[in-house]
Amino acid sequence: MTLPSGTRNYTYGQDMAILRTKTQWALMAVFLVFLLTAPLYLSNYLLSVANLIGITLIAATGLNILTGYCGQLSVGHAGFIAVGAYTSAVLTNRLELPFLVGLICAGLMAGLVGLIFGIPSIRVKGFYLAITTIAAQFIIIWVINHWSSVTGGFVGIPVPEASIGGFTFHGEASQFYLIIGIVILVIFFAKNLARTRVGRAFIAIRDNDLAAQVMGINIFYYKLLAFFIGCFLAGIAGSLMAHWIGFMNAEHFSLTESILYIGMVIIGGLGTTLGPIFGVVFIRLLQQVLTVVVVPSLESTFTALPSGFATGVAPMLFGLIIVLFLILEPRGLAHRWSLFKSAYRLWPFSY
Amino acid sequence: MAELLQYLISGLAVGMIYALIALGFVVVWKSSSVANLALGQLVLFSAWFTYGMLVQANFPLWVAFPLVILFSLALGWVIERLALRPLIAQPILSLITITLGVAYFIEGVVTLIWPKSVAALPRFFPTKPIHIGPAVVSQEYVWVAGISLVVFILLTLFFRYHRMGIAMRATADDQLAVQACGIPVTRIFSRSWMFACLVAAIGGILVSSIGGITYGLVETGLKAFSVVILGGLDSFIGAIIAGPIIGLCENLGGGYLTPVIGWAGVKDIIPFIIIIIVMIIKPYGLFGEVRIERI
Repeated sequence: MTLPSGTRNYTYGQDMAILRTKTQWALMAVFLVFLLTAPLYLSNYLLSVANLIGITLIAATGLNILTGYCGQLSVGHAGFIAVGAYTSAVLTNRLELPFLVGLICAGLMAGLVGLIFGIPSIRVKGFYLAITTIAAQFIIIWVINHWSSVTGGFVGIPVPEASIGGFTFHGEASQFYLIIGIVILVIFFAKNLARTRVGRAFIAIRDNDLAAQVMGINIFYYKLLAFFIGCFLAGIAGSLMAHWIGFMNAEHFSLTESILYIGMVIIGGLGTTLGPIFGVVFIRLLQQVLTVVVVPSLESTFTALPSGFATGVAPMLFGLIIVLFLILEPRGLAHRWSLFKSAYRLWPFSY
Repeated sequence: MAELLQYLISGLAVGMIYALIALGFVVVWKSSSVANLALGQLVLFSAWFTYGMLVQANFPLWVAFPLVILFSLALGWVIERLALRPLIAQPILSLITITLGVAYFIEGVVTLIWPKSVAALPRFFPTKPIHIGPAVVSQEYVWVAGISLVVFILLTLFFRYHRMGIAMRATADDQLAVQACGIPVTRIFSRSWMFACLVAAIGGILVSSIGGITYGLVETGLKAFSVVILGGLDSFIGAIIAGPIIGLCENLGGGYLTPVIGWAGVKDIIPFIIIIIVMIIKPYGLFGEVRIERI
């Protein structure tokens, strides 16, 4: 039950449309209005959380295209984000190029690096690819840390604020509009990519790459294309992150961050556009609630807590959530959501 | 010359430890085709546990070591029982990511219990330097290499002649046939995980007895992957040959390339570069079985 009953298709255009019923249109409009007026009633702190969610969402959508649609596991996504962040930082800080150039170049550069590390994917998959991308992560971070004449090394590099034309994105609210605009573009792109020839090829490769090849899908081209698109989006996210934080060093891009990205995509649901949205919002909100509300209150209540509690409890919980989701709901929150929707539509019948 | 000899010996010693840790991976891969990406965190966890027993609880060596071994066996059992057992026969993507989840969890546990990032284990081996020709080598490296080799040989013999070892190899060959023969496959999986954790613990103790306990131990565990990749995923021989090769590359490369490039720490990245090169040239490694897929 993907649609409410009584929804009929009279043209192919109707059949293809994302929003079908008047209710869907209305809900979408309300949601968009809420999103675009959010800075009016959200506090600065909540806006910064929203910005973080937006940036993460761009990267997670990239990872979802690569892992969820094309089936190529990447455990080095934070590394690719770092490539984008540093490309943008170096271009705008050292060469003083405009932000838009930095943004596009960040995406292209990350995509290019992704292509290089994606080459082994033509011959290997599964675990081999996971290891390759872990190696990519370490190599990228190592280069960033040691190429200090360009990247600032361990110290880091300051990044100027984003600006287009004469307008500078100063403060959380204006950054919010920049980020949310790109997020909407990216999600629209991802949603439609999955329904094109390319998206179908990706899904065929994910389900069985040998069979896909036999059916005439050029695996070489499509796998590398998936790597390029996935890492391009990671680069865009990295660039936005660099300009949003204003100062970059490699600590933002650890291996654990890469694992967290995979966790988000899995918790949300692999291979759906909705999945990463659920996963990212869930994990990032949980992270904020943990560090801002739960841990300080626990620490003030129980004074006997070990001193590593604050830093240790978050990874523990996230690891646990990833494991539990894989065991109990491997199709993620998106699947739960669609189950809920069909149950709602069929109520009071259970089938 | 003296320098070269020094690099050679320390490289061989470190390589032997990598080979040992890699063995833990190979066993799990062979019996249940689960790729254990939590290897680094297992090494880290058991090294910290050893620190807790030896330094914090101040147990003598003969109490602490059996405890560490028991702990690592229990850890392996728990991981297999709680995380991997429910996922038997799931797609490989889930099997890989669940070990990542376990890795993340263990990292949290370690930071929770031992918040400080650096600690030193007491020295187990005599530190008096020994002279081999013109080179002066710390005796520890020789001890470490020797112990790793002995453990490696013992384990190989176990797999060759012991009932359990033979059952494990049989499981690796054909799970269905093994089950038909009355060997409980789930128990084999569980044993292989206990075994992997034990090997990781031994490796962790050996590494940290020289270099101390740092977060770098996770990287040590990950570097063992380069051994696995170079040697071939399902080959014991591959592990024992590739281990020293990686160790030598790392130490020689680190020793001679650093002045050339001018970036300190080339050493840490060499195993990862080897991974990429092997992946592009010969993805199934030196001794790995080339898998022929059918639709």
